[in-house]
Amino acid sequence: MLYFILASLIYAFIAPFVHRAAGKYGIAVQAGVPLVLFVYFATFLPDVQKGEVYTEIYNWVPSLGVQLYFYLDGLALLFTLLISGFGTLVMYYASQYLKDDAGLGRLYMYLTLFMVAMLGLVTAGNLVTVFICWELTSITSYLLIGHTHEKETARQSALQALLVTGLGGMALMAGFVLLGIAGDSYTIPELLTRNDLITHSSLYLPMLILILLGAFTKSAQFPFHFWLPNAMAAPTPVSAYLHSATMVKAGIYLLARLSPALSGPDVWHFTLLVIGTTTALLGAFLALQNSDLKAILAYTTVSALGLLVSLIGLGTDAAIQSMVVFLLAHALYKGGLFMVAGNIDHAAGTREYPLLNGLHKQMRFTGIAAMLAALSMAGVLPFIGFIAKELLYEAKAASSYIILALSFMVSVAYVAVATIMGYRIFWHNRSEPTKLKHQGQVTMAYPPLILGICALVFGLMPGHFVAPILGQAASATLGETIDFELSLWHGFTPVLWLSVLTILAGIFLYSVLQKKREPIAILQKLYANGPNKLYFVLLNGLQRGALHLTATIQNGYLRLYIASIILTQVALLLYTIWYNSPTLQLQQKINLLQDVLFHEWLLILLVLPAIYMLLKTTSRLTAIATLSIIGYTASLLYYLFGAPDIAATQLLIETLTVVIFVLVLHKLPRFQYLTHAHRRIKFVVISVLFGATMTYVLLLVKQFPLISNLKEYYGQNAYLLGKGKNIVNVILIDFRAFDTLGEMTVLAVAAIGIFALLRLRMDKEEKA
Amino acid sequence: MRTIILATAIRLLIPVFQIFSVYILFRGHNHPGGGFIGGLIGSIGFIFYVMTYGTKHTLKNYFRVHLKNDKVADLHSRARHRFHIARVNSRYRQRVEDEWKWEHRIMRIRPVYIIATGLFLAATSGLIGLFSGNPYMTAIWTGLEIPIVGKPGTTLLFDAGVYLLVFGIVLKITFVMAEE
Repeated sequence: MLYFILASLIYAFIAPFVHRAAGKYGIAVQAGVPLVLFVYFATFLPDVQKGEVYTEIYNWVPSLGVQLYFYLDGLALLFTLLISGFGTLVMYYASQYLKDDAGLGRLYMYLTLFMVAMLGLVTAGNLVTVFICWELTSITSYLLIGHTHEKETARQSALQALLVTGLGGMALMAGFVLLGIAGDSYTIPELLTRNDLITHSSLYLPMLILILLGAFTKSAQFPFHFWLPNAMAAPTPVSAYLHSATMVKAGIYLLARLSPALSGPDVWHFTLLVIGTTTALLGAFLALQNSDLKAILAYTTVSALGLLVSLIGLGTDAAIQSMVVFLLAHALYKGGLFMVAGNIDHAAGTREYPLLNGLHKQMRFTGIAAMLAALSMAGVLPFIGFIAKELLYEAKAASSYIILALSFMVSVAYVAVATIMGYRIFWHNRSEPTKLKHQGQVTMAYPPLILGICALVFGLMPGHFVAPILGQAASATLGETIDFELSLWHGFTPVLWLSVLTILAGIFLYSVLQKKREPIAILQKLYANGPNKLYFVLLNGLQRGALHLTATIQNGYLRLYIASIILTQVALLLYTIWYNSPTLQLQQKINLLQDVLFHEWLLILLVLPAIYMLLKTTSRLTAIATLSIIGYTASLLYYLFGAPDIAATQLLIETLTVVIFVLVLHKLPRFQYLTHAHRRIKFVVISVLFGATMTYVLLLVKQFPLISNLKEYYGQNAYLLGKGKNIVNVILIDFRAFDTLGEMTVLAVAAIGIFALLRLRMDKEEKA
Repeated sequence: MRTIILATAIRLLIPVFQIFSVYILFRGHNHPGGGFIGGLIGSIGFIFYVMTYGTKHTLKNYFRVHLKNDKVADLHSRARHRFHIARVNSRYRQRVEDEWKWEHRIMRIRPVYIIATGLFLAATSGLIGLFSGNPYMTAIWTGLEIPIVGKPGTTLLFDAGVYLLVFGIVLKITFVMAEE
């Protein structure tokens, strides 16, 4: 599995080139990659349906318990099939939707990257890998939402989605660490068996809050729901893929995955139920207030996610069963409806549904696709949406009637929205059909059509296709094996009558909505001051605060930067020394002075005139040259004490500093003192303080020899394990290579930073 | 800062700096040296070149690959055409007849590319260990013993990454600083 995932990851970066090279036929490759993954994951179906779990483990950082752990059970497989199957359709759809877009190659790259991250997320069996993939999906989502980066709204929405989900990701990381401590493991399969240990831990509550924050921000739960409708600035293929079928379900996936480990305490069930139901109601309500098709769909998605969360919160067998069925049904119809909305937008140039009428003549196939998806959404008989709704009602009825009533209201709203999407736009001939910019393209109608047919087929024959895998997914969520059977017809039960009532009420609501279209004034005011406003207030406040802080601390005088850095360090050191109050035995040290050899004295004596010169000179060049004398002396000392590598590095760095300084020397203003001598005293005080503290600390360090066998270990093993005689080098590039890699990254970032800073300066000068 | 001695010497010295820096890189495993020092030495040559000739000249001479291309002539096979193009391109700075008929392509090697390559090389060198079933960054050696280079292994790749990164960063800083 590692090879498949890695190959697709590498492919993602080649995708733009493939797109450029292959041109029209490139889509075969672009959609082929998800298709191959889909087929590959489908080969696991027979085994997983029997209840087996496929695992693949690679050690990554064994000392920290980090593994590249692939864990494929029913739940993970359901998601991988959804992700890769949807990926195939979306790639094809994107190729049609953005046919003439210059950024199509880039979009392919991001989509493939996103798909890989998402696949990694759902197959990960280690919390650390889950987190990495989680963040990757946030980042790729940012890039995808901002695809049309010329528009300010797109950029802003992308940043908003990144900040909200990114902050959630931070909380999630902290939650994972707590979970790892409480459960004494970072591997998910182990954690799933330690429910008692985790729920009785004192860390349970903070852990739960943090993890839920992560999941709720990702899955757009109230009060973080606002980013999802804004994310509709993305091109429609992206909305269909990320914001209906896959990424927003990552939070649901996480909750379902960790449910066996975390569920039990009332706070888990209660929070999920309350937040989920609130979100479901709010989303449904807001969906009816909008007239933009994509906004309507986005709000119903928010609402559906809320329902899923509330079902996980209920946590009964029936609730989890209906959760997995609804998850699949929702992905199928919502993805299809998004593509339908995209087709309409593409052809008509608008997404405001009051302006759209009688499109069925011009866009017949899209119309059929819309109808299929809408029927599934409304929960009409032979579709999988019907089964989902039946199960939903059964599960909710078993818990309490209030919850059932709330779910009923949400479902009524769905029916109304489905009527708008599937009937109102296409088949309702009230006035002249809307004029289109161009005829509907048949090719663009294929993907939603396929999804609609899937919804129909799965609904007609639930036992054949979907029941086994959904059963395994439900078992994985519950943590125990359950009997799972799906059938279309349940008989004339009360739930069936409730379904019929839902549809009737929904159609009634639709007809009411058609008559009354004025927005309600009080509600508009409320929306304007919702969480979205709060987000912008916070963001602006942060920027202004950062500006003030920077203006105070970094005021442009380099000497003050250095002084503040040094003073902070000195303060910390002095505090530690005062706190531990070790005694320094000077007598012993003075005796050591007799061992200093003549040439060593000579080197030290060389430094003194250099320092004197440095303080007296008024030329920058002299100052830098004399400063390098000190550096060279230090490097000679290193050499004398047996560290040729460090000596060489020091020597080269000194030389480079002088040379680079000479390059910029002529650009600097003349060197002169502008302050009075007594004002400069304070810098002398700081320098002396720093020097004295460091000397004191060094003397102390020598007094308490570090007890460690590191030295022996490296000495013995450098040649045996590292196959090198130069211990320093072997440590750098082999034993501690990971540290070096980190430092390299820092260096690279610093180089880019230097470049950016100097460029900024140059641009300013050019303008001035 | 242009003196004739330095200007003449540095042109001869640049290859020496390069060869020596690579030697230092290889030598690092058993003797003092390594990627960091090697990268610094390698870049010093170019810094002096920048000091004498300026950024533009340096970029033009060393960080730009000038390729000449032509359409496939009639009656020529593709292989023969490639060979022809390769021969024309390998004649460094030599005048080619019919200068105008060649299609010129200029590839610029920016220091950022070198930095990125270095980082990429270092990060991916650890993957080889991962693929052989060990933790990421486990060193793998070949059995060969090459003079000067020593035993090539993934650590050498890593060190080469350090070399390129340091080389690229110093160049980048120099170019930015020296730009007028």
